[in-house]
Amino acid sequence: MRKLKPMLLMALLLSVQVLWAQISVTGRVTEERTGTGIAGATISVKNGTANAVTNADGNFTINVPQNVTLVVSYVGFRPQEVPASSSPISVRLVPGDNSLNEVVVVGYGTKLKRDVTSSVAKVSARDFENLPLPSFEQALQGRAAGVFINSGSGKLGQALNIRVRGISSISASQQPFVVIDGVPVVSQSLGSATEPDNPLATINPDDIESIEVLKDAAAAAIYGARASNGVLLVTTKSGKQGRTKVSAGAYYGWSEPTRKAKFLNATQYRELFTAAAENEGYDAAEEFAFETGTDDWNSTNNTNWADQAFQKGSIQQYTASATGGDARTRFLISGSYNDQKGILIGNRLTRGTARINIDHNLSQRFRVGTNISLSQSNNYRVPSDNAFSNPIQLNALPPIQALKAADGLNNRNTLYYNNLIELEGNNRNLNKTYRTISSAFLEYAIAPGLRFRSQNGIDFTNFQESQFLGRRTLDGAPTGYSFDNQVTSTIFTTTNTLNYNKSVGGSGNIDALAGIEYQKGLSRGASVEGRAFPSDRFTRIQNAAIISNGSSSETEFRFVSYFARANYKINDRYLVGVSARTDGSSRFGKDNRYGFFPAVSAGWVLSEENFLKNSNTVSFLKLRSSYGRTGNAEIGNFSALPLYTSLPYADIAGLITSQIADPALSWESTDQFDIGLDFGFLNNRITGELDYFNKNTKDLLLSRPLPATSGFTAITQNIGDMTNKGFEFVLNANILQGGAFRWTSSFNISTYRNEVTRLVSPITPGQRTLGRLAVGQPYGQFYGRKYMGVNPENGDALYLAADGKTTNDYNLGVDTILGDPNPDFYGGWNNRFSYKGFDLDVQAQFVSGNDVYNVAGFFQSVNGDYFDNQTVDQLNYWKNPGDITSIPQPRLYAGNGAGKSSRWVQDGSYLRIKSVNLGYNIPRNVLRNAKIESARVYVAAQNLFTFTKYKGYDPEVNTTYVGNLNLGHDFYTPPQARTISVGVNIGL
Amino acid sequence: MKLKQFAIVLLTAGSLSTACTKVLDVAPQQSIDALTAIQTADDVNQLVIGSYSLMGTGQLYGTNLFLLPDLLGSDFNAGAAAAARYATWVGTFQGQRQAFRKQMTRDNSEASRTWIAAYRTINNANLVLQNLDKVTDVAERNRLEGEALLIRGVMHFELVRLFALPWGATPNNSQAGVVIQTTASNNKDEAAAAAKPRATVAAVYAAVLADMTAAVGKLPASNGTRFNASTAQAYLSRVYLQQGNFAAARDAANAVIASGKYSLNASVAAVFSNRNTAESIFEIQQNDQNNAGQSNDGMATFYASLPGIGRADVRISNGFYNLYNDNDLRKREWYYLGTGARPADPANGVLNRYSGKWKSFSQNLPVIRLAEMYLNRAECNLRLGTAVGATPEQDLAQVRNPIRTNLPSIVNPTLADVLNERQLELAFEGHRIHDIRRLGGSVGTYAWNADILVMPIPAREVDATSGVITQNPGY
Repeated sequence: MRKLKPMLLMALLLSVQVLWAQISVTGRVTEERTGTGIAGATISVKNGTANAVTNADGNFTINVPQNVTLVVSYVGFRPQEVPASSSPISVRLVPGDNSLNEVVVVGYGTKLKRDVTSSVAKVSARDFENLPLPSFEQALQGRAAGVFINSGSGKLGQALNIRVRGISSISASQQPFVVIDGVPVVSQSLGSATEPDNPLATINPDDIESIEVLKDAAAAAIYGARASNGVLLVTTKSGKQGRTKVSAGAYYGWSEPTRKAKFLNATQYRELFTAAAENEGYDAAEEFAFETGTDDWNSTNNTNWADQAFQKGSIQQYTASATGGDARTRFLISGSYNDQKGILIGNRLTRGTARINIDHNLSQRFRVGTNISLSQSNNYRVPSDNAFSNPIQLNALPPIQALKAADGLNNRNTLYYNNLIELEGNNRNLNKTYRTISSAFLEYAIAPGLRFRSQNGIDFTNFQESQFLGRRTLDGAPTGYSFDNQVTSTIFTTTNTLNYNKSVGGSGNIDALAGIEYQKGLSRGASVEGRAFPSDRFTRIQNAAIISNGSSSETEFRFVSYFARANYKINDRYLVGVSARTDGSSRFGKDNRYGFFPAVSAGWVLSEENFLKNSNTVSFLKLRSSYGRTGNAEIGNFSALPLYTSLPYADIAGLITSQIADPALSWESTDQFDIGLDFGFLNNRITGELDYFNKNTKDLLLSRPLPATSGFTAITQNIGDMTNKGFEFVLNANILQGGAFRWTSSFNISTYRNEVTRLVSPITPGQRTLGRLAVGQPYGQFYGRKYMGVNPENGDALYLAADGKTTNDYNLGVDTILGDPNPDFYGGWNNRFSYKGFDLDVQAQFVSGNDVYNVAGFFQSVNGDYFDNQTVDQLNYWKNPGDITSIPQPRLYAGNGAGKSSRWVQDGSYLRIKSVNLGYNIPRNVLRNAKIESARVYVAAQNLFTFTKYKGYDPEVNTTYVGNLNLGHDFYTPPQARTISVGVNIGL
Repeated sequence: MKLKQFAIVLLTAGSLSTACTKVLDVAPQQSIDALTAIQTADDVNQLVIGSYSLMGTGQLYGTNLFLLPDLLGSDFNAGAAAAARYATWVGTFQGQRQAFRKQMTRDNSEASRTWIAAYRTINNANLVLQNLDKVTDVAERNRLEGEALLIRGVMHFELVRLFALPWGATPNNSQAGVVIQTTASNNKDEAAAAAKPRATVAAVYAAVLADMTAAVGKLPASNGTRFNASTAQAYLSRVYLQQGNFAAARDAANAVIASGKYSLNASVAAVFSNRNTAESIFEIQQNDQNNAGQSNDGMATFYASLPGIGRADVRISNGFYNLYNDNDLRKREWYYLGTGARPADPANGVLNRYSGKWKSFSQNLPVIRLAEMYLNRAECNLRLGTAVGATPEQDLAQVRNPIRTNLPSIVNPTLADVLNERQLELAFEGHRIHDIRRLGGSVGTYAWNADILVMPIPAREVDATSGVITQNPGY
């Protein structure tokens, strides 16, 4: 994509025929840090038209008028101005990310950042290369303003929550639309497991050149009905003209949990439960025997079950790539292998990828190219948070029960399932994914400035789940259980665009785009489940005596879209843009097939005006604003149809109603206003952006609750409204530059305030959860009984009652607002230091003001209500009249303080040293003898330190089994991993 | 010239994209459009089968309609009489635990699941009734109509027994019952119209009796494993008994017994371990693949403690177990010491005992057995001083038949004898709380008509109807 800009400039050049007295200037452009030549750097005359590009070694020749100033620029480096006097000229470019001359990728094209009138956040490869990231989207966390990421849990290959500018949907998808090299891809789970897998984990982060996040309507509306949650544009690296460069990298790392919760030991356990039983008139030993069928109460065991969930994790990655080409053909070939062993027992993710990106000029006018990527990943998964087989649930087992039985095998006679058994023998829970995201394009320069491009892309995924549970496991007993599932998903997209770029009237420039797109998505699956195996040594369904389940599925959607965009620029100062898209989709009801999504934007570069032009302080100032509409079409493929489905009754199948529907069902639409200021001070030594946005989402797709007496519980309709308002602020500074010691810093902070503005009726919390929706309140607000502590007289748990007093009767308590899972603000602070050959990146990331509800509280922090092991804070329970404590008197089985309440709501704010990368570039003179161009060794860390008041495992938590609405719920959810790695990169 | 090229490109683009609206018509593959779903007699028959499927799910007869009445009818207090402890819920599931501990809240998951599934089944039955015109064969139409009516009646009966203060709680039974639903929801307007106030308990029982009585007239004498005329009679006997209408209950039970279609098995285990035995009047059909569940629902799932089978969440009180005579074969066949989850350890005095009626995930689930009809007739005859069909002594002797139970018969049994036999025979089949209610008993300190023994109306239902459907007292 970046190749487009020089091409456009060349085209413009051809049309300019005026020549002045010229001199020939030669020179070389090198990278300041390593001294290697930079191929493809642009040399232009300041405020002029002449233009040249460096060759493979960084050399250039340019004919220019005398006494002009040359501007040398290259993506990722700060542009430099040099007088075109003495030849040869030596230019050493200094890296610098946030230069306003940077090119950003926008929908169906690219733009100079200074000309952009919309809000786009960009994260470049340089920001995240060599970090041990579980998947590439994690690179956005704390780096892209306005993008809130919650990793959910520390399991590998699990879906992340990515929210661009707040939450724009309730029942439809809340995740951004993901486009990789122009191909829309599957970013939502394909698997059958309760917890969604993450299809994006199959992509090699090292292949990525940049990730752009289209945040406001002006940027995103070109993606129409699928842009309300923002758009992630992923651009992979492409070949560069010049000598073929070969590079290779490897790293190895170790990981462990960021944090762990603390549970009772055997002595403490007996103390608490003896009290709990006696307070209710029971004998603890007898009750324990009843509940477990063991006499472990009298044992000498002292098992730390909670620790059994973890193992020492590791990560290793090996990558190699070759890139190069000539004036006609450019290529990139890369391959990688990544192997992560998770911090949870049994969790592992491996990924192998290969990529070929080629583009070729057939002639002056024709250009063709292809991007082909292949990946295969194996994810050895951990069961859902809500499964007894989730290793974290081991923390519920009493410490007085033994790890191993007398026969040396894992003890099966435990209070709950001892899920260490899941890891015995041949048991497996493996997801295999084979995927290619590939495309080919043809470009034709019809006339100067007019270009046609046709791109056909496919995202093909074959997803295979394979599970075996032996006869000793909970779900595999008594004769073994095996499950196989295959899903094949294909998304085919063809995009045809016309691009027109022309200077008008000397100082104006018009850039227009028109296009048509057709997309077809098809997903087919088949699964089979078998039981009754001769022994645990047989794990394939071939050997099962009973085929206990089998199923196949198919679903499809289609889109037909037309879009257009025009941008007009005068005097490099006034910028105007309009865009529109019409989307038709098979998902929309018959009465509402086509949606229209327009946007307008304008920018004013104040720094080009006379009153600022000569300012020494203000080097760049642009005011921009936009307004437009986007949609959300992730409403399910057939939500607009009333449906019957089948339900088996022993050997026959009956018909039942499955869905009642609204034939007018359509997309959700979001109108967004954005106003922003881009600034640069002190020769752009300080740059930044300030944005305010106001998103109004209408026609929210909502499961409108129906009286169940109708036979249905809900109907999907467009019946809700919601707003998101917020600020985003980015500040970049070159704090120390020029000397040997350099320091650049980038800080960003964002807010969003979500408010539900229309609903038919409030959506109330479930039996275990607190999240609700109510008009005038934020999405997912915590609502329920307010825990008022303990009555010092008798140790009763107290709740807020209707009269404002307290009550010990849970049913007399009243529901009130208990908290908000949405953050007040979040952001990151990145610092990059360099000194001679050393460089150090430190990134901090923070979230503040969000509440977390520990759903597991009523099992593990409930003053010994049942025999689950308890968190250590429960020892501080009420003992005697007059005791002031927040832990009620323990009463076995009696539910004293066991009701769902604010007792387990906590502040989930945290500050993390998210990543650290310390590297050393081995000097070239040392490398020269080894014929190595460059070499860097480094130590990197992810999640190095976490500062929080949260008492559970890790505050970055979002268990998924409770559904989208229940944000910030923790239910035996594994913590994040802290990873420290060492690595090396070599360039030949 | 430029314009011409432009046009060519646009045309090419257009054809490449096959841009026409037709491509946007995509039909679902896994479901069918409701507008065309029910067209033939066979479709209507499939709808009836669908209603049985729904009744077989864990929310209804698959688990909850058996489990919840027994949990509600168990005394959880530590000091409770051994026999009154009946069943103990030891599992972690909150919904069931609340029912057992009498700590139900209005968002109780089991109350909500059962309510929703029952009305879903009722809607399916109403769809059958609405589409009867598609069935041209008169016999077939009568059969399908009878099944649908009985399904609708049975579901309303189960709902009113669980979700309303019991029959007799007010003198004229004007306490709120449940919503009577006799029309189907085909679209959003009809669905919205289902937000109706709860009818009184008296009205609900009247509607139940009307449906069941009509079903008797429509159903054939035999109908495979599906509802037949005797099933309707058997249910009628249950309803009348719950109302204390002993004569009607007796006559309905007598009609079932007199039909001669059923006989008690020689082995008490057979009705649970074999399928569709002679003793069974109606049972939910299950197999290995299609059953109420193996991990989160299902009778064996909760009741069994066998190697690899069951969570052993419902433990049987040894006090109740000891009510059986040591010679009683039922004591041996229907109870066992756990060997799977939460096992027994007799050497250490851990006597964790479980119900042997529910031991397999794939077993059929008997809902009404002939033994219940004998017990109903015996009780009613005794109370009324009649001997319709047979004397109470004869009926009791059938149940205590020596081959079946290895017990002697009781000469001149008293009401207490019959009721005692009833609790022994029908234990853990979902009768407990219903019998306590109609007999005016209590669960621990809670009287038969206590608010807390009534399941809450699901909070979602009160919210979704903005209070048109009212909550039960105490929630």
